[in-house]
Amino acid sequence: MPLGDFTPLLARPARAGRADGTGAASQASPRKGRLSSERLSPFVLIAPAVLVIVLFRLWPLLLGVNFSFTGDGERNGSAVGLDNYAELFTDPLFLGALRNVGWLVLLLPVAVAIPGMLATFIYLRVPGHRFYRSVYFFPAVLSPVIVGSIFNLLLSFDGPVNRLLGLAGLGPVDWLGDSNVAMFTVVGVHVWATFGMSLVVFLSGFATLDPALLDAARSDGATLPQVIRHVIIPGLSRTIQFVFVTTMIGMLTSMFGLIYVMTSGGPGGSTYLPEYYIWIQQGQMNRPAFASAASTVLFLVMLVVGLAQVSFLRRTGRED
Amino acid sequence: MRGARISRWLIALPMALLALATIYPLVFTGNAAMKTRRDYILDRFAFADTLRWDNIATAWTSAGTARYFLNSVIVVAGAVAVLLLLGSMAGFALSHLRFRGSRALFLGCLAALFVPFQVIMVPLVRTMADTGLVDTYPGLILAYVAQYLPFTIYLMTSYYSAIPAEIVDAARIDGNTSYGVYRRIMLPMGRPALLSVGVLNALFCWNDVLIALLMMPSAEHRTLMVGVTSLRGQYSADIPTFASGVLIAAVPVLAVYLFFQRRIADAVTAGSTKG
Repeated sequence: MPLGDFTPLLARPARAGRADGTGAASQASPRKGRLSSERLSPFVLIAPAVLVIVLFRLWPLLLGVNFSFTGDGERNGSAVGLDNYAELFTDPLFLGALRNVGWLVLLLPVAVAIPGMLATFIYLRVPGHRFYRSVYFFPAVLSPVIVGSIFNLLLSFDGPVNRLLGLAGLGPVDWLGDSNVAMFTVVGVHVWATFGMSLVVFLSGFATLDPALLDAARSDGATLPQVIRHVIIPGLSRTIQFVFVTTMIGMLTSMFGLIYVMTSGGPGGSTYLPEYYIWIQQGQMNRPAFASAASTVLFLVMLVVGLAQVSFLRRTGRED
Repeated sequence: MRGARISRWLIALPMALLALATIYPLVFTGNAAMKTRRDYILDRFAFADTLRWDNIATAWTSAGTARYFLNSVIVVAGAVAVLLLLGSMAGFALSHLRFRGSRALFLGCLAALFVPFQVIMVPLVRTMADTGLVDTYPGLILAYVAQYLPFTIYLMTSYYSAIPAEIVDAARIDGNTSYGVYRRIMLPMGRPALLSVGVLNALFCWNDVLIALLMMPSAEHRTLMVGVTSLRGQYSADIPTFASGVLIAAVPVLAVYLFFQRRIADAVTAGSTKG
């Protein structure tokens, strides 16, 4: 940005009170250097942050997209067009990872409804609501590594969970060793670990809800489901939207630790998610360009899912 | 009215069970850490008869957890310090210093918030390797700063926006430059937000495994979370020692949670009510 391009900060009319005061201060300043350093101050203050974000977050995004059109190994650096993408969509592991993303999207309403219901009950002050609030939130601050390690113990074949099922007369389940079950187990543990986060967000949304509306609905004799349907859901549409989007992002980007600790993608590649696939291709297979192609696909998937959700939720919000 | 009260208790019962399901896993792990190997194999559910610290000691010394712990403390402290410094400077500039392009910069910052690490990790690690930052403390600190800075700036900007412009103006009348305003007004007044954001960032960095795994390949630089994952292979037949390692990694988080629960929740929800 050329220096003469911005209006001097000190002569800003936008903030009435400031123009006089700071004008006087600058007159009192003996050296001109101080004035120009003052003029540059916003840029000096913000430059380090901008530099870090541009260099280590935005620039790599472009670099990665660019990188995804090049080859690995023997074809290192040479342009290969869409070869990486073509290979990606024939790799059963990657397709399995995308199918698992599909499962996550389908399970999303459940992962949002659980904390939503719990927050509703806490808001309606079920006995012990304060206690529940702090207990439920606790797993949300634990690392996926800790959560995964603990559940490795709990879900082992002769562990507590199967023992509990045994008491109910149900056979033991091979939670992490059965390829039909493992993905749902990992998602279930993820929901256990994160529902407290959404719960707290819901509760802060409830704080903005007009209590008079609830009282009115109650005195009209509305049942709990009616209150939820006609008062709480419309009143919290923004919060619900926020929770949907953040839960989806959480599922797509913060399950690496759980998968790494609990299943390593197995059994039979059944618990792969794109982020784990990228990590394997980059770190274990040493195919960074190919991994970049998978990264780009993940980014597009997140963009599409996120935008679709926002527009869908907006539309349903308007119809209400 | 009576019916409503009964149904409240009916709801409270499954909620109490859920609370139990939230606490029990950690209790189980803590209990396992207090048992001898033999006791654990014979009966893993019974409560340990005494508090036995041998396993914790083994995990801390011979399993190398002490070193991992130190690595984590160094990296988390460094990253949080830099995050708070850069985040508060940028937040102050974006909220109180109107300058050309400030809106665009704020939006760019928000956009960066939505670029997940998984999408940029390959080129980022390459860049870090090219500049010799892989497997160094500054490298991992820088990676964390890059990861959590957009969020930090966002929260600091919205917090500082609530500080009235009159206070800034008054400080300027007293002869303060922007830097003076930052140091004498913004840093002291921002203390509550800096504490909340600092705690949350410390948790993020402490809990991370993917970035640490990529940036710190050598064993002596492992952070605690990566260390715990390696304990699992090492002590797969010695669950009490493994559980001790998990406990060592969880206890600082537990302590932070008990002290700062309210602040963590506030910082988490700050993004949801605005915008």
